[in-house]
Amino acid sequence: MKIIVAIKQVPDRDAQVRIDAAAKWIEESDIQFALNESDAYALEEALQLKEKHGGEVIVVSAGPERVGQTIREALAKGADRAIHVACDDLGTRDALGVARLLAAAVKPENPDLVLTGLQSEDLGLGQTGVILAELLGLPHATLILHIDVEGDAGSSAHIKVKRELEEGWFQEIEMPTPAVLTIQSGGNKLRYATLMGIKRAKLKEVRTLAASELGTDAAPVVILERLALPQKQKSTQILPGNAKEAAAALVEKLKFEVRVL
Amino acid sequence: MLLFLPTLAEPENFSVAEKIAFAGLVLVSAYSFWRRFGVVLDKILKSRKDASFRFSPVGKRVWEFFWEVLCQAKVIRERPLPGLAHACVFWAFLAFALVTLNHCAVGLGIGFLSPKSVAGRFYSYFAAVFALACTVGILGLFVRRFLVRPKWLGAKLSWESGFIAFLIFTLMATYLASFFVADTDSSARVLWWVHTLALLIFLPILPHTKHLHLVLSPATVFLSRGSFAQIPPLSGDEDFGLVAGTDLTRLVSLQAYSCVECGRCTEHCPAANTGKLLNPKEIVLGVRAYLNDLGPASGEPLLGKYNAQDAVFQCTTCGACEFQCPVGIEHVPILVGLRRGAVNTGTWEDNYGSKLFLALERGSNALGISPAERDKFIQKQELPIFDGTQEYCLWLGCMGGYDPKGREIVSSLVQVFRYLNVSYGVLRKEKCTGDPVRRLGNDLVFQQLAEANLEALAQNKVKKIVSICPHCVRTIQEDWKEYGTPPEIEHHSEFLARHLSQLPSVQNEEKIVFHDPCYLGRYRDVYEEPREVVKATGQLVEAPRNHERSFCCGAGGGLAFLGEETGERVSHNRAAELVATGASTIGTACPFCNSMFRDALATTGDAPPQLLDIAQLAARGLPETGSAKDQEG
Repeated sequence: MKIIVAIKQVPDRDAQVRIDAAAKWIEESDIQFALNESDAYALEEALQLKEKHGGEVIVVSAGPERVGQTIREALAKGADRAIHVACDDLGTRDALGVARLLAAAVKPENPDLVLTGLQSEDLGLGQTGVILAELLGLPHATLILHIDVEGDAGSSAHIKVKRELEEGWFQEIEMPTPAVLTIQSGGNKLRYATLMGIKRAKLKEVRTLAASELGTDAAPVVILERLALPQKQKSTQILPGNAKEAAAALVEKLKFEVRVL
Repeated sequence: MLLFLPTLAEPENFSVAEKIAFAGLVLVSAYSFWRRFGVVLDKILKSRKDASFRFSPVGKRVWEFFWEVLCQAKVIRERPLPGLAHACVFWAFLAFALVTLNHCAVGLGIGFLSPKSVAGRFYSYFAAVFALACTVGILGLFVRRFLVRPKWLGAKLSWESGFIAFLIFTLMATYLASFFVADTDSSARVLWWVHTLALLIFLPILPHTKHLHLVLSPATVFLSRGSFAQIPPLSGDEDFGLVAGTDLTRLVSLQAYSCVECGRCTEHCPAANTGKLLNPKEIVLGVRAYLNDLGPASGEPLLGKYNAQDAVFQCTTCGACEFQCPVGIEHVPILVGLRRGAVNTGTWEDNYGSKLFLALERGSNALGISPAERDKFIQKQELPIFDGTQEYCLWLGCMGGYDPKGREIVSSLVQVFRYLNVSYGVLRKEKCTGDPVRRLGNDLVFQQLAEANLEALAQNKVKKIVSICPHCVRTIQEDWKEYGTPPEIEHHSEFLARHLSQLPSVQNEEKIVFHDPCYLGRYRDVYEEPREVVKATGQLVEAPRNHERSFCCGAGGGLAFLGEETGERVSHNRAAELVATGASTIGTACPFCNSMFRDALATTGDAPPQLLDIAQLAARGLPETGSAKDQEG
């Protein structure tokens, strides 16, 4: 089974994010980047499928040079080779623009499965995977926790996927391959990176494709107007009086100010 | 007038046939010895070279050889009675080197220690004293092994040990008996032959049994790694720790064959004492069995048939085993080496372990908490940020920066700093030192953390660090050396002991039992400094297991992060011992010990003793706020 996993490098969860001067993107100079969480689960699912059914796992990632670090981590965890779509304008491209880059890189590979994370931790659009499916002309399913390959794992394999719905409900879908699936976090236990993996990763192939060579349209359909940090304000009120008085005052506020009662 | 003294009977005039028979037997005995010993030696020498081994400092090696081998200090210190009995046997063997050489020479008619010469007579009496001591010693050891039967020697009786004891007894008895017969008497010849046969049977048995330690352990003690629990750097791109036979180094193989199976390691092991699978003696014997069956060129994994992976990951790296070992085996590098082999190749699967590794691959602390929480703590306590102008960098560590109890310890230490007007600051950002991943064998994450921290310290021009955590201290000072030059660092007990005279005295009758943290005591050899702090604020009480025999709290080696233990909890075992001293306060000097005991004490029904770090003890006598100068002003 040939599986492509599209991964994204995002600002580390612990990073102190600052907005750049143009208020269009964040200051990238002083922060650390890491693999997007649900992409890590997509990679894990792909690696487990490969361990069970054999085949190849290829990671593809679009972004500037720093993305190389995340690509190497994915290779260290067990991906066989990687494609780096080099572009410095990821922040200003919309989901369609990114999906076009990925589609151009993925198409010649003719994979049996394309996995992406459900959404990115930075922009959280949750659309790239779905648009990618559309561009590739493949069926897709979202919010996937688990993939089972039914019968033969060859090029015409059928898969059964488990989707996560609201409130603890799940849905199981049977679908043909090739297909595009967006993976939800938490379906598997992630593996840790190992020294041996990192050393072996150095010997694996990373093919770099320049965005300009892929001949895709960079002009965004959705334009980012302005980026701002959430406003923090303290509106704690201490209600005076004894317990009875305070409780009465609280009910008053909940009823008429906050209007939740 | 000379007193009449019996002299050592040495038969003269052996017939040619006897001489040939004797020479033949010596050759057969020596050959049988070599047939096995040669194999062992070959396995040791064919093991991988220890790339990081340095012979210097020679002085330390010579001293350890003198103290531990020749004086038998470690053997006696830990188990005085059997230790002394062993020393008697050992010293007799040394004294008998000349006697045995002469004994064989006599058989060929070229004896050199004539009982008629003053020197010869002196030496035979000199050796006789040792022979007497040895006889008593070996009988004592025989009684211990076969009648007292301490459990550390194993459930199975070792008949070979009994036979060896019998041979040693025969050697001594025949030597002593020959003082009471005449040279010309035929019984002198019988004694000579019995002594000879005992000797020639003894020799080939040695390399087949644990008595091989006679030959190997002096070398093992002399050729130690150089410092306690030292984890060697990995060498080259294909070294991932102890994965297979090809990863066993000469030191590891030498140590495996040196084990005398005395069980001191197991006797002190926190895992073995609380019903876990791990038994450090069996780990060493497992490596030996692997070498015997498969040899050092084998690609078979070391973990599996010969040693269980689960056992290896139950080690708290407290180092009690290595500290006690009388034959120079270094258990910690072996156990951590086996873990490295499993983790660096990804064969160890553990939910908690993976969680810790993933937290430290991405995040900054072992507790997996957002660094913003550390920032808030720094702001709330108004801790100054280190800017290169202050004397000390106060290293918070994961516990000091994120754990509520660890923060209390830091706050108390800061109170002392303020009182003493010590200039200090904390780093704006800190990552875990990598202690838990280092001990669990994750070299990838450890390297990332060590390098990032070393860079941050260099950027901030840190010269001196003080830390409340012995694990941070050890890791920064020793383990980071693989990746750079760490600044000077000390544990807060050392700082506090040095400044004790400047702190107000608060003598009272409160009984305080001090628990020696493994990483402060055995790892750093700091025992008295925290006790001085305790003594300055109350009456010091000692737990039965104290100083270098202190019993682990169960947190070390990354185990604090690995979830529920099997068997009894190590922390409960130790906490019960501390409570039983009747002390009203338990004094600790490590935030991990503190955390373990906090949980253990919470499960005891009646009012447990209070639990305080030495920094909290030292800060108790200080005025609520302000520095000494403010007070004066």
